[in-house]
Parts: sequence; structure tokens; C-alpha cells
Amino acid sequence: MTVTAPAPPRPRSGQPPRPRKRYLRPEALLGLGFVLPVFLLFLVFRFGPAIVGVLLSFFEYTLGDSPRFTGFDNFVRMFDDPLFWQALKVTVIFTVLYLPLSIATSLGLALLVRRSFRGSKLFRSVFFLPVITSLVLAATIFTWLFSSSGPLGKLIGDSWLASTTLVIPALVIVSVWSRFGYGMLIILARLQDVPRELEEAALVDGAGPWARFRHVVLPQLRPALFFLAVIETTTSFQVFDLVYVMTGGGPARSSYTLVMALYDQGFQYFDLGYASALGVALFVLTLFVALIQRVLMGRSK
Amino acid sequence: MTNALRPRLGGKILRGVFLAVASVITIFPFYAMIVLSLKPVAAVEFPRSLVPWPIDTSSYDRVLGGGDIPLWTLNTLIYSVVSVVLVLLLSSLAGYAFAKKRFPGKETMFWSFLAMVMVPYHVTLIPLFVLIAEAGGVDTYWGLIVPTLANAQAVFLMRQFIGTLPDELFEAAKIDGASEWRIFATIVLPLCKPILATLGLFVFLWHWNDFLWPLLVGKSTDMRTLTVGIAALQEENVPLNVVLAGATIAFVPIFAAYLVGQRYLTEGVTMSGIKG
Amino acid sequence: MKLRAIAAAVVAALAATTSACGSAEDTPQDVTMWVYPVVPDEAQHRAFWDEQIEAFTKDHANIDVKVEIYPWAKREESLTTAIAGNKAPDLVYLIPDQIPKFAKLVQPVDQYLPDEVKGDYRDNVRESVTMDGKLMGAPILMGANPLMCNKKVLDAAGVSAPATWDDLLEIAPTLKAKGFDVTNYYADPSATLNQSFYPLLWEAGGDVFDEDGGKVAFDGDAGVRALTFLKTLVDEGYTEKELITGIPAFEQTRLAQGKVACTWQQLPADVESFWGADAITIHPPLKDEEQVGYGSIGALSMMKQSGAKDAAGEWLAFVSSPEVTKAYDLAGNYFSPYQSTGALYTDGPQAEVEKTLDQMVGAPLHDKARDVMGLLAPEIQAALIGQKSPEQALADAAEAANGLIGQ
Repeated sequence: MTVTAPAPPRPRSGQPPRPRKRYLRPEALLGLGFVLPVFLLFLVFRFGPAIVGVLLSFFEYTLGDSPRFTGFDNFVRMFDDPLFWQALKVTVIFTVLYLPLSIATSLGLALLVRRSFRGSKLFRSVFFLPVITSLVLAATIFTWLFSSSGPLGKLIGDSWLASTTLVIPALVIVSVWSRFGYGMLIILARLQDVPRELEEAALVDGAGPWARFRHVVLPQLRPALFFLAVIETTTSFQVFDLVYVMTGGGPARSSYTLVMALYDQGFQYFDLGYASALGVALFVLTLFVALIQRVLMGRSK
Repeated sequence: MTNALRPRLGGKILRGVFLAVASVITIFPFYAMIVLSLKPVAAVEFPRSLVPWPIDTSSYDRVLGGGDIPLWTLNTLIYSVVSVVLVLLLSSLAGYAFAKKRFPGKETMFWSFLAMVMVPYHVTLIPLFVLIAEAGGVDTYWGLIVPTLANAQAVFLMRQFIGTLPDELFEAAKIDGASEWRIFATIVLPLCKPILATLGLFVFLWHWNDFLWPLLVGKSTDMRTLTVGIAALQEENVPLNVVLAGATIAFVPIFAAYLVGQRYLTEGVTMSGIKG
Repeated sequence: MKLRAIAAAVVAALAATTSACGSAEDTPQDVTMWVYPVVPDEAQHRAFWDEQIEAFTKDHANIDVKVEIYPWAKREESLTTAIAGNKAPDLVYLIPDQIPKFAKLVQPVDQYLPDEVKGDYRDNVRESVTMDGKLMGAPILMGANPLMCNKKVLDAAGVSAPATWDDLLEIAPTLKAKGFDVTNYYADPSATLNQSFYPLLWEAGGDVFDEDGGKVAFDGDAGVRALTFLKTLVDEGYTEKELITGIPAFEQTRLAQGKVACTWQQLPADVESFWGADAITIHPPLKDEEQVGYGSIGALSMMKQSGAKDAAGEWLAFVSSPEVTKAYDLAGNYFSPYQSTGALYTDGPQAEVEKTLDQMVGAPLHDKARDVMGLLAPEIQAALIGQKSPEQALADAAEAANGLIGQ
């Protein structure tokens, strides 16, 4: 049961397809009945909204009015909107800083607690604690830590969140703090599967710790790291809770992310069509990056 | 032989130091949260504010005595617990059918579930909100809960797990004349206990910590969850010690759940990629 | 199938619980009103409304009134969401610059108010709540933001209260040398510009929108002059830096600590407990090209969605009457929107503020006023942080705002 990524389900092979009338048996009805509640919820609350979300991006739709088809107007407006570009820039910078830092932290700590020793379980538990803590709580306390009254603020003599240059690094630090335990566990699970014999053989061949890591362990970790990279990219593209609570996108929009923009347009100005267009942009961006990651991963293999 | 890869003494000490430092950094925000919540209103200046003594519990008096926090805790509990029960029920039923039943449209349904995991939540957010708003779900518990019940990952996980159970178990019961419903209730569910515990914990955590959806749906002060309420307190310039007292209160049940169910949680993370 | 029935039952039960403790299914005689912390002390505010509800119910036993006190923060978001979800209150407290935005959703209230009351509003009040000749809300209060100074600070530095921008700049270095700030300025985008930047804009002879409301006007010479003036204050260290990027708890601000000479952003009630009543002196608004301050007006508007308009109208006529508003205005340290009420305060700082009411200008009346404010505020902040020049910041904000208005 320790697979790192959901394995795609396959229809069970080897069984010849049964005659169609067998489906009408009570068993088939029952199967349908068992699936139906979830499936209907799914259609209404996930599938439907996803379709409508894409469609809505071609409409002008605000509170109290009926939707009006405007073709690509929302997207044209988006490309002209300096706020969109600012949000995109912030989101990309955040991701570029967050991704390597969080994966490196996860990897480093996973390697440190890899072998069991007295206390290793305790360390693992401690490192996982931030993962289960709500981002709102994290944001609340880190706001103080970074303020000019808090220790991190005192360190630089000013509030991080008031600085246009330090606000994103501050948000990255909180994100890494809250997520590295998750990545650590994913990597640890994979590390358990690295055959001991491989490493021992390398040791006998006189390979030092770095060489063993680089040539034996790291190649084995590749799938787990890829999985993490995809998950963490998605997470950081969608960063919202922290920004909403800690900075509201400020100061002067220097931490204004795409989801903040979507939230503002959707629920501040109730410009629902434009907000949907921003949602579509986010979706396209996510797909695009996932694709790039897949290509890179494939090539380095 | 097995000791060959063990670090030497120097390495062990270095590892210990690294881990200790990392632990302190990890724990420090929690420490700060609790200590600051026990300070008087204006005492926020570091480092004095992080000395634990003397303790001042006025923030907790304010938070627990008639404030909104007890109500918000109740809301959060309802949101989390009802969702957990319903998600477990719905997804184990569906998971059982997907794993062990044959019926028309099965593959299509299953694949559409999986495909939707790829679509970011935020694409669906606006229409979902309009839908719930039109249906009168703003500021209601059902508006909060019902849209979150369509949990594709939960269905997937249940299908995976039930798929590993041997068919003979069910066949025997069927020969004995047990109804399908009975088989589900007396054979499938008990066998699923470990996975239900894992899944239940995740769904609980996810709902307890959820922010964006309750922020949209729970608009009145009375319908806020803890996360939304604490964010609002901060916005309304409530003194830091009071906000952090609220945060500490919100943290306690999560911490308790963690202590009890840690094993299930860590297994759950490694089993699949459920987001924490 | 059975399970779906169970699930449906659970959902129904949940829904029932909610409506039992929420305000879901209003019967025609239930009236809900949303107000905000106009009276800062919540207990006192609650008590005021409980008392009014009791008095009202004596004559209207069939009307069940519920007054909900919402926080100021994010109040429009809450209202729009509630409207979208058909959960809007029957009556809500709005200020003039919000009214155009909600105009489509607001029920004019002329028919619910007695003529003698409607004829009694101060002229500037009536103008602020009238659209197309219809009364979009019943005014209940008026506020004024003149210049307020701390006498102790002025005396300690040996300077006198400024009357013009130049005066202000002249005394600033002396104050700074003694460890005081000449004024304070909240640049966090969540602080309303009505109270902070717009007064400066008006004083410089400018305005937020042009005559016909087709474009913004804040990016003209007056806007640049106002923002440059402000930037000078910030750059020279004449104001508290913390306020540029955040809103600290009030007791932690230099204003509360008695380190600020003068402000146009706070009122006597805010500082009295910190400075002592004796230290507060009230002066006319600062003068540059013009001499104006921001005057707030509060009105109760009826939502078109209301299912109990007549009952809500009865309650509205009651609470917006000169007698009830007088009590409310006194409790909240505001002033009366009625001419006949006369002066509410006989001495002390409030009496001085009351005398400046005629010099006040209301918030801009434009259906995108609040949205434009949302675009302009971060740009002003960017200029004050030093990220952009004042010209650039205002030009950027104007471009975005004109795009918004043009739609």
C-alpha cells in the first residue's frame, strides 16, 4: 500500500466482458445505487461548476444582472490589466522561491531522520505538526513574528510584511514551514524502498556519503520528487489563506497573487465573468507548468 | 553488515544538532502563540513578550466568556464532524461499488472522478458560490457542508482499499443469503476500519482548517468557523493576545486528533497523495 | 436509494436547525437591520438598540425587529454576498458613496417617512442621499472631520496649531526635534480614503471624479500636489511609519500615546481617554487652495429584496425620527442630520466640531466610488513607500480606474 502517487486504475483484464443483460441484475442496480449519491453530488458541485466556470469567462456577469455574452472581452481585458500581470508576477516569483526551498528542506530532513534511532519518531512527529495546523493560525502568529515587535522583525530592524521586497520571502518562509513535513513523509516512504544492498555495495566500492546519495539514493527518489514538485507547484499557485490574512496582497500589491485577484474580482467587485477568466488563466498556467515538469522529468531520465 | 551504513559518532552528533535546531524552529511559532496569548494586551514587544511569566489569562476570559469563539467552535465542529460522517459513508459505498460491482457506466464515472482532481478548485469556485447562493445556502450549515461532500480522492482511496479485500468474503455471505446492504454494513465496513480512520482524520483536518469556502458562505458573525473568525478578529484590530487565545483554542482539538491518530495520518500521506 | 433518503433527511435536518437559529425564512412581520459599530462600545450599542426595539414593539406587537451589529471591516463584501444569497437584511446602514453602487438594489424610502421629517434634513444631507429625486435612505447621523490637535504636544514644542499646509510643514521640523510627529496618515489600503487622502485632494482644489463622472480626476495637478505633500511628510519622518503599511492596535499608535500634534483622521472620542479632554483642541480643516474636511453621513436604506417593506418602513420611520436619532447621535458622538434639532453639544470638543459642519464635503457620489478607492489606495501606498513617483502612482491608478468606469 505504499505507493507515492495514486496508481491509475485499470479495468481488470483477463475476464471476458459479460453479456449485457447481466447488467440488469439487481446487483448492477445496487452498484449504481451505491455510486449514484456521490456521483450526483459530484456532477452538481464539481463537474457542473467546472464547465460553467469556463463558460462564464466568456460572459459579463455581475450581481443582479443576467449574463451577457462578450466573447473574448474578459481575456482581452486581462491582458491589458496591469493588476493581472502583477498578480502573475507575484505568483511566479513566489513559486520560484518556494519550490526549491521546500523540496530541499523536505529532502534534507528526510535524510536526517531516515534511519531509526532513539528519538527519530519524535522528530518526525514534530516536523509533521505544522502540516496539520491551519494556515490561518500560522498566518496569525507569523504576522507577529515578522512584525517590527517580533523576533524576525527585530532581526532586520523593520517589519518584513511592510517591505515590498521582503514580503514574498516572508510568505515563502511560512509556506515552507507549514508544508515541509508533508514532503518529508513522501520522501521517507520512498527512501524505505531504496534497497539497502545497493548502498552497501556502493560503500564497499569506496563511495563517500555524497557519492552514495548522488548516484544511488537520488535516482531512486526521482518519482517521489517529481510527485512533490507537481503537488507543491499547484499548492503555491493557489496560495491564498496566508496572503489574505498576513498582507491582503500588500504593501502596494507586492504580494498580490492570482487567487487574491480572483477573490477580489469575484467577491469584492462581483465581476463574476472576469473572475472566471482569471480562474481559467490559473488552470491553464497549472496545466502548462505540469507539462513542462513532465517533459523535463522525462528528459533527465 | 546492517551496521555498515550507520553514521559514526561525529556524524550522529552533527545529525542530532541539526535535528534539534530544526525542531526548535518548527515548534517556536507554537510556543510564541501560546505564550503571547497569556500576556496582557499591550505586551507584544520581543523579547520580553516571550518570557512565560507572569501569566495573564484575561484574553481567555474575554474569548470564552460570552464572546463568539464558543459559537465558532461549535460551527467548526458541525462543519467537520458532519462532513466526515457523510464523506465516509458516501465514499465507502461508492468505493465498494467501484471495486466489487459491475454496472453500466462504471468506467466512465470513475474516470470522470479522477479527471476532476486535475481541475483547480478555484475554477469551480465562482459558479459553485452562485449555485449555493441562488439555492439560499449562504449562511447555512448545508450550504457550507453539501458542496464539500463530493470528494473524489476519498472515493478513489476507498476503491483502492476495498479492491484488495478478497471476493470470497462477500461470496460466502451472499450464499448464506445476506442482503447487499447487510454485507456492506457487517463485512465491508468493519474491514475498512483502518482506512476509514485514516480518511476520517484527513477529512476532519481538512474541514477544520478550511478557510476559503467558509469565508464565502459563512458571512454573518454567527455562521463563522474558527479560521474565518480568527482572520476576522485580526482584521478588526482585536488585540493580539485575544486573537492568539482564539488561535490556541482552535489548535487544541487538532493537536489532540494528531496525538491520537498520528499513525493513521502518516500512513495516509504515504499511501496516496492526500493533501494535508 | 435508501441512503440517499437518509442523506437528504440529514441535509434537511441541518437546514432546519439553521433556519431555527438564523434569519432564513422571514415571515412578513420580521424586520432585520444591519448596522455597524457607530457606537464603539458594543455593549452600549446593543443596549441602545434593545431599548429602541422594546419601545417600538409596544406599539407594533406584530413586528419582530432584529438589529445585527456587523464589524466595519469587509462590510460591503458581507452585504453583497448576503444579497447574492437572498439573505440581505431589510434595512442596512449605508454611507453616501455606497448608495450609488447599490442603487439598483435599494428601495426608495420617501413613502415611508412623514413629510415634516423629510423637510427637516440639512440641505447637504438631503443632497447626499438623493438620487434622481428619490430618497435612497433615511439619514440618521452626520459626522465631521476638522483638524484636531493635542495642546500638550503643541505647547511642549512651542508651536501653534497649523491653518494651512505651509504652516504644517513649517512646524514639522520643530516637532520632530522634540520627538513628536506633526500628523498621522493611514496608508494601509483597508483604511478609507474618504478620511485620509480625499480631504487633501479637495484642499488642493481637486476632486475624485470629473464633473459628469465619466472619468477620474484625482490624477490632475491637485492630486499630484496632495500626494507630493503627503510624501514629503512621510519621507522627512514627520509621520508614523508603521501606519503606512499596517493598522496597529490604536493604543499602540503614536497618536494614542500623545506623540502627534494634529490629525484630520481621528475624532475627539477616539483620543479623549488617551489625551485627556483638556488637551483636545479643534480647528478648522487645513487650507491650501480650499478649506474643506470630510463629512460623513449615515443613512438607513431599505433593500428591494425585503419581504416586509411595510413593517420595515414603520421601523425606519421610528428609528430615523429626530428624537431617536438624537439619542443615537449623542451615544455615538455624532451630530444630527436635522435642522430643527439644533446643537447637540454645548461645550467641550464636540461642540467645537459641531461648528465646522458647514465646511465638510461628503464622500464622492459615483457608482464605482468604492471600487475606484480600492484601486487608488494601493497606488498611494506605493508612492509613500517610494516604489513609484506620485505622478506615476496616480497615473497608474487613473488608468485602471478609467478602465473600470468605462465598462
